Amino acid sequence: MNNMQWVPIGSEPLPPPLPPTQVEFTGNRSEFRKLVTKGAMLELVTFGFYRFWLVTDIRRHLWTHTAVDGDAAEYTGRAKELLIGFLVALAILVPIYLAYFLIGIEFERWQGFASLPLFIGFYAFGQFAIFRARRYRLTRTIWRGVRFWMDGSGWAYALRAMLWGLLVVLTLGLALPWRAAALERYKMQHTHYGELSGDFEGDGWTFFKRGWWLWLLSPVALVIFPLVPFLYAEFRAREWRWWLDGIRIGGVSLSSNLPHDAFYGLYWKVIGWWTLLSAVFGAYMIGGTLLVVQLTGVPVDRVFEPDDGAKSIPVVAMMVIGYFAVALAVNIVMRVYLQRDLWAKVLETVEVHDIAAAADVRGSGQLASALGEGFADGLDVAGF
Amino acid sequence: MSDVFAEAPAQSAKPTVFFDGVSSRKRQVTLTLGDALEICEEGGTPVRWAYAEIRRADSPPGILRLAAMSAPPLARLEIRDGVLAADVTARCMHLDEHRTTRRGVAKIVGWSVAAAVSIVCVVLFGVPLAADRLAPLVPKPVERRIGDAAEVQMKTIFGRSVCEDPAGKAAFTKLVNRLRDAAGLDDTMTAGVLPTSVPNAFALPGGKVFVLKGLFDKAESPDELAGILAHELGHLKHHDNMRGLIYNGGTSFLIGLLFGDVTGSSAVIFASRSLVEASYSREAETGADTFAIEIMHKLGRSPKPAAELMFRITGKEGGSGLATIFASHPLTEDRLARMTKEDRPPSGPPLLTDKEWQALKGICGSGKM
Repeated sequence: MNNMQWVPIGSEPLPPPLPPTQVEFTGNRSEFRKLVTKGAMLELVTFGFYRFWLVTDIRRHLWTHTAVDGDAAEYTGRAKELLIGFLVALAILVPIYLAYFLIGIEFERWQGFASLPLFIGFYAFGQFAIFRARRYRLTRTIWRGVRFWMDGSGWAYALRAMLWGLLVVLTLGLALPWRAAALERYKMQHTHYGELSGDFEGDGWTFFKRGWWLWLLSPVALVIFPLVPFLYAEFRAREWRWWLDGIRIGGVSLSSNLPHDAFYGLYWKVIGWWTLLSAVFGAYMIGGTLLVVQLTGVPVDRVFEPDDGAKSIPVVAMMVIGYFAVALAVNIVMRVYLQRDLWAKVLETVEVHDIAAAADVRGSGQLASALGEGFADGLDVAGF
Repeated sequence: MSDVFAEAPAQSAKPTVFFDGVSSRKRQVTLTLGDALEICEEGGTPVRWAYAEIRRADSPPGILRLAAMSAPPLARLEIRDGVLAADVTARCMHLDEHRTTRRGVAKIVGWSVAAAVSIVCVVLFGVPLAADRLAPLVPKPVERRIGDAAEVQMKTIFGRSVCEDPAGKAAFTKLVNRLRDAAGLDDTMTAGVLPTSVPNAFALPGGKVFVLKGLFDKAESPDELAGILAHELGHLKHHDNMRGLIYNGGTSFLIGLLFGDVTGSSAVIFASRSLVEASYSREAETGADTFAIEIMHKLGRSPKPAAELMFRITGKEGGSGLATIFASHPLTEDRLARMTKEDRPPSGPPLLTDKEWQALKGICGSGKM
């Protein structure tokens, strides 16, 4: 409003197109590593209940250290919301599981294995959960004091995802780019920043042209499996770039020059860590078993005897501790490389065009409940 | 420019920015620290935030980002100047009141450990007890429905037809009836033979026992077969199917609840479930063996031949390390040892005549399999 008062109307020269703005990620890697290490340990001692707090802290870290046009975003979701969402989802899912079980019995009476298609129902539920979880995360995403939000229907999205999924199966995966484009269009067209509406301009054909040869090579990778990480990294990088290039919010658009080989290092590092951890775990198990044999005098082939309850306790306890330690380490590795590093790597390639269109946007949109996150957690389809 | 900007240079190096929570417009403001925090934008009406209501919001390093309880929920004040930030921080006594403190984390840990302990106790003691008590109470029709569903599934795997050679069937019925009477089961139970070369037998909910033809091929005497049948009748008598169903359903749900995945697909859940369920199943198998031994003794026959038949089929199983913790049955050699201990010379009449035994072996017709 103030600007209007000083600038005489009509005398404003046409401004030259502004250079694109960068997206900055200022997160400190060791800080993030400490965060997830502490979180993973707490997750361990709380039998996983801490995950709601950890996930929230991870998002808060990533969001607040991401700045667009000099202004950092903020994540306002809280762990308590996720916990409640999970409990509500549980209350809804439990009767559904029971109904699924009973209907399944009736189907099986009529025809052997006729209840397998009922699984499709759970797939649909998973898609619904993905959509609703995205809505929750968006409504907790704040930039310049205005929130993102979403409308649209989770069930309409699930229906689209199912029909496109069927087509992908029928075409042996060739329809995948068009499925991605259609679903992304639905999601983005129902995404808003304040009063600006989102859109998605990526199309399936572009994606197809960037990745068709990966589709051709995938049977080869099944035979020569060291190729799999390369192919997957290629696919993911191409998908990310195509996705970012298509995003529009109001007049603002994104573009990315993410190189096709951007994720090679990440995936191989994860595989390297994983191999290392497996080796350590193997050595630990062998060493531990030998130690138990030495100390108790039980012969090696009787150590695992289930009926000698008392004698197998040390071995089982050792196994459980070792397993959890490895799970914890894998967890940390995955979060550092595949969440934090991937996030940073993608963001440093993103350019934002015409950010001025978002300079004075009125806020709108309501907060969405965390029910979708709860479902996603319950059905194990959770993303970030 | 006008003299309103006189003070600006002091703050302009690191500007203070205000977002009013209504629009995304970035407002450069100056702060006045009076009895309340006053946020003044050039030419706008000042906004007042009481210090007690100011809360810290997440921010990147180098920026103090504030929100206020009475302001629109998304209104944010961003102070980039360190001195000014320290000044404001000192005045806001409830700045970090809403954050999770160490005590908060301890509370989460404490209560989740309590929840986990109670879930583990329920899995170990509550669910088996509930399964034992509830299984006999499940109404017969419900049990039979579940059994029907399982039967259709079995027949899809092993072929639709049932072996019904008349002489063989008569012998089979005679054998089953003798065992059934000794077991004290009512006549709602049914038994059948499926034409497949897999040597096995199983009991389904609702009183159905199926013997696969492969078992007849491997069996060398009626006693061998009778012992196995008696074992399956033991499962029926103990309602093991319903118990297992209730038990597995209960544990997978509770363990799923613990790890936050009600479908139970991830590795931890799979491992802990298999471990717990296998031990429960081994217990049920041992119970059915005990029952079989009793029945065979009651009929004046030895239970040992049945174990010999099992041993002939599976061979020695032990020494396979870890697998035995996850095994659903006790090791065959252990079962053989147990049944050998219970071996007694026959005191009752043979269960089938030689002629009947030959007829039984040909129940599926000869050479078809």
